[in-house]
Amino acid sequence: MRSLAERVYVWAILLSGVAFAASRIGLLGDAGWLHWLFLAAALGAVAVLAVEANGLKFGDNRLRRYALGWIIAAAVALVLWAFGQKQVQEALPFLTAQRRIWGALEPFGLYLAGLFLTFMASLLVIGTLDPIADRPRPIERTLIRRLPAKVAAVPMVMVALGIFVGATLWTVYHSFTSSKLLPKSDFVGFDQYERLWATNRWIISIENLAIYGVCSLTFSLIIGFCLAALLDQKIRFENTFRTIFLYPFALSFIVTGLVWQWLLTPEFGIQKIVRDLGWTNFTFDPLFNADIVIYGILIAGLWQGTGLIMVIMLAGLRGIDQEIWKASRVDGIPMWKTYLFVVIPMMRPVFITALVLIASGIVRVYDLVVAQTSGGPGLASEVPAKYVYDYMFGGQNLGQGFAASTMMLLTVLVVLIPWAYLEFGGRKRV
Amino acid sequence: MSDLAVNAPAVAPETDVAAPRGPRPTRALSRRNIILYGTLIVVAVYYLLPLYVMIMTSLKGMPEIRLGNIFAPPLEMTFEPWVRAWAEACTGLNCDGLSRGFWNSVRITIPSVVVSIAIASVNGYALANWRFKGADAFFTILIFGAFIPYQVMIYPIVIILREMGLYTTLSGLVIVHSIFGMPILTLLFRNYFTSIPEELFKAARVDGAGFWGIYFKIMLPMSLPIFTVAVILQVTGIWNDFLFGVIYTKPDNYPMTVQLNNIVNSVQGVKEYNVNMAATILTGLVPLVIYFVSGKLFVRGIAAGAVKG
Repeated sequence: MRSLAERVYVWAILLSGVAFAASRIGLLGDAGWLHWLFLAAALGAVAVLAVEANGLKFGDNRLRRYALGWIIAAAVALVLWAFGQKQVQEALPFLTAQRRIWGALEPFGLYLAGLFLTFMASLLVIGTLDPIADRPRPIERTLIRRLPAKVAAVPMVMVALGIFVGATLWTVYHSFTSSKLLPKSDFVGFDQYERLWATNRWIISIENLAIYGVCSLTFSLIIGFCLAALLDQKIRFENTFRTIFLYPFALSFIVTGLVWQWLLTPEFGIQKIVRDLGWTNFTFDPLFNADIVIYGILIAGLWQGTGLIMVIMLAGLRGIDQEIWKASRVDGIPMWKTYLFVVIPMMRPVFITALVLIASGIVRVYDLVVAQTSGGPGLASEVPAKYVYDYMFGGQNLGQGFAASTMMLLTVLVVLIPWAYLEFGGRKRV
Repeated sequence: MSDLAVNAPAVAPETDVAAPRGPRPTRALSRRNIILYGTLIVVAVYYLLPLYVMIMTSLKGMPEIRLGNIFAPPLEMTFEPWVRAWAEACTGLNCDGLSRGFWNSVRITIPSVVVSIAIASVNGYALANWRFKGADAFFTILIFGAFIPYQVMIYPIVIILREMGLYTTLSGLVIVHSIFGMPILTLLFRNYFTSIPEELFKAARVDGAGFWGIYFKIMLPMSLPIFTVAVILQVTGIWNDFLFGVIYTKPDNYPMTVQLNNIVNSVQGVKEYNVNMAATILTGLVPLVIYFVSGKLFVRGIAAGAVKG
């Protein structure tokens, strides 16, 4: 069981981390010292624990070795901090080249040093508290057991919290500010969103995304499944065909977009070929016709992406029990009926995976449009990802970029949350 | 076409699935086979056509392109467009061709692949064999993070890199690639290490091997295939990246994809379609070669990434 002091200790450590991160982002403003307060609280809890254990007994502390380790870690962190100091940099000239990096790391060094020293103190105390090591106490467990694994997981934790959670929240928060050229922290409510939805270009982007998304989903799934079903007929040269269907997936969207831009050029491409064959009125210029330009992009996108769906579907089909086929043969059910009413329902998880994969790719569509049309003709083939990029890095209107990217996040969540619920919600699975 | 694909197998279902013993009683030219292979060949032609047109266009001179038909093979074959694309094509003021972008891409890809795989493999190993409290929570965040649109995270990363003085440098881009490669690679390695029999791990523990000892002496030698898959996945992914390249580098450091787009879609000057197509092939060449050489491993990589668990 955890005592109250232990619980206070754990929460204080966690809160100090959160406070430190928040102060680095700049959310706390003047209260940038808050993490020190929490660390002090943790130290206080350690002191209480020490009193509960009738005082410190350094002599018989079996955890001294580990405490020493944390002292070394704290020393390293302090060195990191020292490298950021002007006097040290003047004394050690080789530091000046990366002065900005050391400067950026300085507060981290100081905080980590404080944190590690707290750990050291708590280990010394916990050691006296529980001299017989048959059951390690919670603090000891977190600080010592499987420590190398925890150290190895530090990058993962940093990326998960710092980038995927931290950066996302930062952007969502700043979408409610009036940031223009530089990010600001004044809260202005839904102003950016109102402006966003009043912008013609954004509406076009959303429409394009909707058309592209629906068509891309339907056609990818249908074509991918049909190709997989064809390849699953125990045919010869299966590997050759699969290699051919999948190779566009190895190419980048830029390459894909440029090839299809060339193929769809009216003066030279498919339109000219068909006209030369005799149909002189034939018109097929999707990239120059604002009404159908998004379908021109769709053709290229499907060419690039269906191979992947085919491979996933093929893996799913190979996972179907052969007995099913025998049974349906015995019952005299035609093959297409078996596919439609037996196999496809059995492949539901595969379809859902493919769906999530396509959907998360659709929202990101950017390179393809940039390469193929650059958003033209006019604004006809704009997509949300391009809107975000242009406003953040071209238009110097950060607030609009943040608001638009938050809307993109929302779109993804609409797909992702039901999927996660279906996949992980029903049954317990790790 | 899709209609055909569903109906075709229904014509003669007796020819497949667990045939009885003895030679298969199939006729090579049954109606079923004609429809089946016919459809496959038509689709294959559709998939190969862009590659064919690309190569043909890049081997023609400009006068021939203006006259003719994009599907026709060149009357006079010339490799000049390839040379020009590699060494002379202009982006803005630089006229040293795609070679600059190529070497930038190499300098971005190699460290990114090494760093991201080193971090992710150790991480996947820790998650698979040394599970600790809270690890799964972070892992879940990581996997869900893979679905967050990059656009939401790019600006804060710009700020972080600027603070560190790494914005617009190649090292900054390497960090970005390592971050965004992490979810998929960690998943890949975690699943692979979980599939290695636990008795091996326990035996090594009994013999006194620690975290790193087991990783380097037991796990690493056993996981060559998954490392190959990871390398293929990362090399193609990073080589093909456009968004991060255009955001986190400056024109001198642009990777090949960004430079290619700038060459082809530049507004000034006469459009040289043959040079453009040669440049496009050159950019696609590295992933294509990897794809055709690696074959099944490539498929395994994307399947491992796509079908989870």
